[in-house]
Amino acid sequence: MSGRRTFRRLALAAVAGFGLAVWAFPVLWALLTSFKTERDVLAYPPKFVFVPTLDNYREVLFGASSILPNLWSSLVVATAATLLTMLIAIPGGYALGRLRYPFKRASGFYVLATQMLPPVGLIIPYYLVLQKVGGLDTYAGLVAIYLTFSLPFAIWLMVSYFEDVPLEMEEAALLDRAGRLRALWHVILPQVRGGIAVTTIFVFLNAWNEFMFAVVLGGNRVRPVTVAMFNFISVEQTQWARLAAGAMLAMAPVILLGIFAQRHIVKGLTVGAVKGGGRR
Amino acid sequence: MDKPDTKGPAQPSRRRAIARGTALGAAVVGAPWIARFAHAQDLGPYQQGKVNWRQAEGAEITIAVIPASYFDNLIALAPQFEALTGVRTRFEKVPPGQIRQKALLDLSSKTATYATHAADPMYYPLYVSNKWVDPLDRYLGDAALTDRAWYAYDDIIKAWRDADSVDGKPYGIPYDGEVTVQVYRKDLYDAKGLKAADTFDQLVSNAQALNDPANRVYGLALRGFAGAGQNMYIYPSILRAFGGNWGSGGKVVVNSPEAVRALQWYVDVLSKYAPPAVRNWNWPDIADAFSQGTVATYIDAHSSAAVINNPEKSKVVGKIAYARWPKGPSGKRVTSIWNWGFPINAALNDRAKRATWLFILWATSAETQARTSWKFAGPAKRSGVNRVSLWRSQEFASAMKGAGDNFIPAALESLEQDTDVDWRPRVPQWPAIGETMATAIQAALVGQKPPKEALDEAQARIQQALKG
Repeated sequence: MSGRRTFRRLALAAVAGFGLAVWAFPVLWALLTSFKTERDVLAYPPKFVFVPTLDNYREVLFGASSILPNLWSSLVVATAATLLTMLIAIPGGYALGRLRYPFKRASGFYVLATQMLPPVGLIIPYYLVLQKVGGLDTYAGLVAIYLTFSLPFAIWLMVSYFEDVPLEMEEAALLDRAGRLRALWHVILPQVRGGIAVTTIFVFLNAWNEFMFAVVLGGNRVRPVTVAMFNFISVEQTQWARLAAGAMLAMAPVILLGIFAQRHIVKGLTVGAVKGGGRR
Repeated sequence: MDKPDTKGPAQPSRRRAIARGTALGAAVVGAPWIARFAHAQDLGPYQQGKVNWRQAEGAEITIAVIPASYFDNLIALAPQFEALTGVRTRFEKVPPGQIRQKALLDLSSKTATYATHAADPMYYPLYVSNKWVDPLDRYLGDAALTDRAWYAYDDIIKAWRDADSVDGKPYGIPYDGEVTVQVYRKDLYDAKGLKAADTFDQLVSNAQALNDPANRVYGLALRGFAGAGQNMYIYPSILRAFGGNWGSGGKVVVNSPEAVRALQWYVDVLSKYAPPAVRNWNWPDIADAFSQGTVATYIDAHSSAAVINNPEKSKVVGKIAYARWPKGPSGKRVTSIWNWGFPINAALNDRAKRATWLFILWATSAETQARTSWKFAGPAKRSGVNRVSLWRSQEFASAMKGAGDNFIPAALESLEQDTDVDWRPRVPQWPAIGETMATAIQAALVGQKPPKEALDEAQARIQQALKG
């Protein structure tokens, strides 16, 4: 018996290890590349041992093409978009999940329908609208556009979390004469904490990684890091090492956020999966 | 008031502070020579031109360029332009894949965001048919705006001027450009007693002689990646060298017998003598491979000399030579006529237009061309200067000395003898045609479809695009 168990563990570890390696390899390779000179980047056979250099980081942080202002742009846009999204998506998701009101189904579908258009088809209308209201190359403009795709996503994710909260809990709170809002604040929200964390992180990630809208609707003033990094691929040459260093810096905040919120993510994901399953 | 001005004043102070901090950081840490250089040079050579440089003082213009050293050099000198004219400039760097899209959006919506932009010459027919850009003969012919004797428009390389003109009228002024040439390893050629190819057949036999995949040396590389500016940048030269053309009188024909033969040749040489990944390579990848010593010959932009001669990267410095395109079966050599030119956005107001013209005049003048090339204090000396007189100058020759054997003669002869304005189909529908052709060429290169079938399908699609 114990032999079989050991085997199963080993097999599991092997599969997990393989999966992890496939996922981690590009990231680790980029990490290595970010410490290489351009000559080492192109070396064949590829070098795993080399004299590391910090030049690439120095260049992308403090050089002529510094991405610091772009990291700031990304942070402002992603944070503002996330806060606004959550501010609307939490009550919105609750309403769709719990309340009864006219045209509920229709409004739920409408929210989802905005997700059905391919984003590339929306760029030109968005450009024209922003141009009319003077929103091109502004934080407000880009955040507003990000809300158009992050809100439906967040609302629908939040609906599923709200639906998981046992109705009895809410009813008990209402019986104790708590109003809707108080019940929501004191009873329901603590129950969906994990869901809020997961949604927040996904919304932030999407906004942070967004490229297509940013490149067209942004400009010199508002240029997120995803767009700025693209400039390391010039028509003359691809500066692989700097690109990798830029990518590492752009990933860092997201990875930190991920580590910080890992507990919530894992919990949130499993809870969402087994509907009505366990206690939280 | 100028439109771009309106955005200026009411910015939050924090953003301004950050912007200031960054600018300072860039000047101090990044490139101290930028600041030094900007003030060291005098404006005398410009003031010799009998133009009122201050006529648009106070205007602000935004210029979209691509991230490239030849534009970085220009941006570094912009303070000189501002001192000369009192016009403020804002540069926006947009990746090459997106600059066309952004310019089209801006022009078609008449936003007047970009006073001018680094324009793809193939887009002028589209711009002009919609009247999105101003004809520049007006500006060139107006003595208040241009001192023709000083500016010497005709000194600008003719092929590039033609490429930026529609029906004989200029709509853009070339700032920087390139020609495609043969680039080869003279050490490998010498070892086998080979000479640079004069015909397509010799190109193939050279490639065959040098192809040695077991030792990671491939005979020949050409751009294989799908894209209007990638495989559709090389294929047109092959087609024209096979005696093909793109049709006439508004009709576009892409599946002529010559076209099929040309594409078949492209498929054959790449599958036999090129690195297997070449079908996904754009030219930086080819230059990287060549600089690592794994490619014996490639045909691509003369400006790639900067990459393959970069001592930080390249292992083949000192072993490089250049030659014109070989002659195709029709006896013709056909190079590219690529250049980044500056048009004037027709949606601008009058003062902004004048400011933009002054900028174009300044950027494309012989003096600025020299200051961004051999006179430039930074490490990158531009090799795509826009004037014949500069190409022939001693200073340019010595700045390009390190490029390799026969660099300037090969490029200059190509510019003067091997250019053909109908190298690619110059019609307003080019964007769609370029992409359709790129897909068809790649389908053939990867063996998905035989050349004839790929081109027949492209023809059907292009017919649709021309109708619609």
